[in-house]
Amino acid sequence: MVIQKEKKSCGQVVEEWKEFVWNPRTHQFMGRTGTSWAFILLFYLVFYGFLTAMFSLTMWVMLQTVSDHTPKYQDRLATPGLMIRPKTENLDVIVNVSDTESWDQHVQKLNKFLEPYNDSIQAQKNDVCRPGRYYEQPDNGVLNYPKRACQFNRTQLGNCSGIGDPTHYGYSTGQPCVFIKMNRVINFYAGANQSMNVTCAGKRDEDAENLGNFVMFPANGNIDLMYFPYYGKKFHVNYTQPLVAVKFLNVTPNVEVNVECRINAANIATDDERDKFAGRVAFKLRINKT
Amino acid sequence: MGLSSTRAAELLARDGPNALSPPKQTPEIIKFLKQMVGGFSILLWIGAFLCWIAYGIQYSNNMSSSLDSVYLGAVLVLVVILTGIFAYYQEAKSTNIMSSFSKMIPQQALVIRDSEKKILPAEQLVVGDIVEIKGGDQIPADIRVLSCQGCRVDNSSLTGESEPQSRSSEFTHENPLETKNICFYSTTCLEGTATGMVINTGDRTVIGHIASLASGVGNEKTPIAIEIEHFVHIVAGVAISIGVLFFIIAVSMKYHVLDSIIFLIGIIVANVPEGLLATVTVTLSLTAKRMAKKNCLVKNLEAVETLGSTSIICSDKTGTLTQNRMTVAHLWFDHQIFMADTSENQSNQVFDQSSGTWASLSKVITLCNRAEFKPGQESVPIMKKVVVGDASETALLKFSEVILGDVMQIRKRNRKVAEIPFNSTNKFQLSIHETEDPGDRRFLLVMKGAPERILERCSTIMVHGQEQPLDESAAQAFHTAYMELGGLGERVLGFCHLYLPADKFPETYVFDTDAMNFPTSNLCFVGLLSMIDPPRSTVPDAVTKCRGAGIKVIMVTGDHPITAKAIAKSVGIISANSETVEDIANRLNIAVEQVNKWDAKAAVVTGMELKDMSPDQLDEILATYSEIVFARTSPQQKLIIVEGCQRQDAVVAVTGDGVNDSPALKKADIGIAMGIAGSDAAKNAADMVLLDDNFASIVTGVEEGRLIFDNLKKTIAYTLTKNIAELCPFLIYIIVGLPLPIGTITILFIDLGTDIIPSIALAYEKAESDIMNRKPRHKKKDRLVNMPLAVYSYLHIGLMQALGAFLVYFTVYAQEGFLPSSLINLRVEWEKDDVNDLEDSYGQEWTRYQRQYLEWTGYTAFFVGIMVQQIADLIIRKTRRNSIFQQGLFRNKVIWVGIASQIIIALILCYGLGSVTALSFTTLRPQYWFVAVPHAILIWVYDEMRKLFIRLYPGSWWDKNMYY
Repeated sequence: MVIQKEKKSCGQVVEEWKEFVWNPRTHQFMGRTGTSWAFILLFYLVFYGFLTAMFSLTMWVMLQTVSDHTPKYQDRLATPGLMIRPKTENLDVIVNVSDTESWDQHVQKLNKFLEPYNDSIQAQKNDVCRPGRYYEQPDNGVLNYPKRACQFNRTQLGNCSGIGDPTHYGYSTGQPCVFIKMNRVINFYAGANQSMNVTCAGKRDEDAENLGNFVMFPANGNIDLMYFPYYGKKFHVNYTQPLVAVKFLNVTPNVEVNVECRINAANIATDDERDKFAGRVAFKLRINKT
Repeated sequence: MGLSSTRAAELLARDGPNALSPPKQTPEIIKFLKQMVGGFSILLWIGAFLCWIAYGIQYSNNMSSSLDSVYLGAVLVLVVILTGIFAYYQEAKSTNIMSSFSKMIPQQALVIRDSEKKILPAEQLVVGDIVEIKGGDQIPADIRVLSCQGCRVDNSSLTGESEPQSRSSEFTHENPLETKNICFYSTTCLEGTATGMVINTGDRTVIGHIASLASGVGNEKTPIAIEIEHFVHIVAGVAISIGVLFFIIAVSMKYHVLDSIIFLIGIIVANVPEGLLATVTVTLSLTAKRMAKKNCLVKNLEAVETLGSTSIICSDKTGTLTQNRMTVAHLWFDHQIFMADTSENQSNQVFDQSSGTWASLSKVITLCNRAEFKPGQESVPIMKKVVVGDASETALLKFSEVILGDVMQIRKRNRKVAEIPFNSTNKFQLSIHETEDPGDRRFLLVMKGAPERILERCSTIMVHGQEQPLDESAAQAFHTAYMELGGLGERVLGFCHLYLPADKFPETYVFDTDAMNFPTSNLCFVGLLSMIDPPRSTVPDAVTKCRGAGIKVIMVTGDHPITAKAIAKSVGIISANSETVEDIANRLNIAVEQVNKWDAKAAVVTGMELKDMSPDQLDEILATYSEIVFARTSPQQKLIIVEGCQRQDAVVAVTGDGVNDSPALKKADIGIAMGIAGSDAAKNAADMVLLDDNFASIVTGVEEGRLIFDNLKKTIAYTLTKNIAELCPFLIYIIVGLPLPIGTITILFIDLGTDIIPSIALAYEKAESDIMNRKPRHKKKDRLVNMPLAVYSYLHIGLMQALGAFLVYFTVYAQEGFLPSSLINLRVEWEKDDVNDLEDSYGQEWTRYQRQYLEWTGYTAFFVGIMVQQIADLIIRKTRRNSIFQQGLFRNKVIWVGIASQIIIALILCYGLGSVTALSFTTLRPQYWFVAVPHAILIWVYDEMRKLFIRLYPGSWWDKNMYY
């Protein structure tokens, strides 16, 4: 009895659906007649057309408020972050000395990264600037006048420049180079007219022990003021970011070493508790030797 | 002699106390759990579990994964539990009002036990106890009368018979309900005394049986519960289908399953209006409070709306439509009918009182009356004084008190020397008095009773103060008047008097009422007087209003058809120009069968006719006639009538007061019990209690119910709108890969923070037009959430809102350095923790935390964008058809409270808690608060346009698709 009832209602449901999809009596497709569908489609075409136009207009008006060369606000970028190259997953620099493949990808990345720093390219595109002072280029009445950049030659990176280096930045010998760079921030006068440098250390005492010696290029990890300020990608086309290379000479092998590098500059705080990369960078170094 | 205490204790232990077991209550914990899993809670539970599953997967991959999803899951569960507790609390609060109401006063009974008279609580009675009852007592159990003196009981709460029933010790009928020697539990003894033996106690009494019958009638879902279920289904359907769709899209776009699960959670949370059900509960209870002020006490919150969708009201007559007291309506003397004032205070008696006949008549009325005011009521208005005596004597007493002044004094001056009280065999009442005129030594004999019996005893008639022989023409005039008054459904009494000649009846004469040593014929007829239980003065208006509102009012009464019809006519249940089949037959002088029944609009159906009817015939009557009166119906038939109405797809409201009404009250879509006259069983079975027993209060209730339905629509439309604005970010995030525009927690802050008070504020909105001028909503066609409402909220306003909010979001990002074009497909890089030098449109590089902070600023901006546009949304939702300016922007002050609350909450979140990063709110620049304003204005303008076209072209394509 009950089953019969259900079956019937099941058939009814199918029937109702059929009638909903196409009702031959009223010529309704999905509950609407052809004209009704036409109206609906036309309406939504017009309505959504209008909404798109309205949104585009407001977006256009909004974009008029932002300039091409400097962002309107830079409050979030008060402290530039530090970053390392090679860029690795989770910032773990792991080198299996015997396993070429493990570090070859780093080497490839570095080759590519350092290519614009080649002396020839730098000489061709950029100026030789006076070290120790900011390279300011005011507009002088000409709006958005294109800016020149200062040379940072690859040779300045010494043993880490990788030029004619059979050890592949030291990766093949377990003495890897890690490059430290500071995030670009437009119109940021890093160092507040005083010299600044990058220093690295083991995060904890045991890390310091395991880290061993390292050398920095340019010497002392200095970053020169002439690379600042940065004027933005559009007008400061050939801007070359200054780098500091750190070559770790005798890291205790087969141990994970936590390294932290920070910048010492008068106007860059490095103790932000929330932002672990403000003015500093922490990475793991592990040299596996058999 | 009675039972011994020990035996009684044994029986008490066997049968249990003599009390009705209260209706089964759902255990509190079940009620509570129901709130936890009802409605959207299930979806949120799913969301919470998905969160934890996501965390589980994350944890198994990476031990140091963040606890964000655990927190989110916990927050979702918290939301479910809090809203559940809230709904439970609201529900409990409204039930509490009732339970305090239904508390019974402990009843006492006079019992003979151990050969001693004892007063015991009625609960301790057992079968076999001998109890004594006197006038005014409530019968403590079902009792077989052993002996009695003039005992009369009011069985109205049981059988619906309003006439007092006399009791005797004789067995007169097989049916216990008919026999005269049984008194029933919970009925009252009006007068006399009786001694009886308890034959049934507690639930085994006749009343107990009926009460248990009532709990057997299933509880049907209220219309609003169905509507809300429907709405939950729609929203849940949308949420689940979009969720699953985008889960599939996400997976096929090569997103990690884990991420896809998190998207799914976001979509569910965005789609579910978490605060809405709580809002609905608050809205309903606000209305319930408002109705309680207007004398409708609502037991079940959802019943508030049910009343609004009512299409048939089956109303009692006595007490609901009428004042529930006999009142003198007409007088006939000097061959003329006079009308008396029947209004509630009777202060305006305008008939001619100069005639000598009136002087005599008033004397008869005053003297031939045993009713007396209870002492100590000097300051109480006459109409409110308590009287000892039956209904018609009370009416006469009050009538004469109003016109003549202190009746007791008059009676004292005309000392009563003999009296024969009314009895059913001779059908008259007689008394003999000394007159107050000291010069007149004659005795005055006054008599009243059934008019034809009185007339038989008269030989003369008084006209203009002069006695004239009662000739053929005078008798004819009497009969005409009698018929006319009887035809009005009134109870007619005749009055006559005789001055006994002083020579035959000297002052020392001893009257013997048994021997009747005085004349009782050849009296002088003075006049007629008719009484009726008059309609309440507010009822005719209320009935007219019902009619305008498309509500059919059916009178169901135990009274005589003629009386019922007369009252129905006077209150408008049968309108002035409509006729019954019988009326037409009378007018055309043809047989009833020959009348075309389609000509008649009204029908009076008696219980006898109803008994022989098949359900089909009843359906036909209910469908054919628009004005129906059921007379002489038994309470059981009320249930049949209610079922008949429900077969017509009507939402039926039923009023009732007696215990025997409880099955019908329970069966009805909304049972309305009388607060004053109602029995506890009726109040228990009902959904609503009418505190003043007044029909007009039902109509105000209907108005409130309709208003709340409209306002709930507005609330839901308001709440649904922003769901799209909350959902779009997730969809865009998945497909276009923008950094997430709004976080799940932020969404909860909208749903449960800024939006709550405004959506409640809509409950205070006044009606747009006269809601009592339209048909009741069809329970299957006029849904709370219909297609146009969903489409308009989701695809029109919701979309505009989403665009406006995105504008704010893009503005924040662009002004910080990320132009809109750079955001596309940025998501993956953006969210990588080890990318700390992500380049923006200007070549600057961002650390993860800097980006995170910007993302939170984006959340805040999107939140503010939605909030600003929700203000516009709130304003447009004030009306569905009228322009806001017609409705008055400032008429509903609560809306402005809502808007203020919205802004203040947003300000607190943004500036007060801006530093608490756990909530992902940041301090927003003040100008961003205004970015969405153009879109807010657009929303308002667009909606005004929609309403304008709806008003201009009613019934058009636009109207059909745009009016929700």
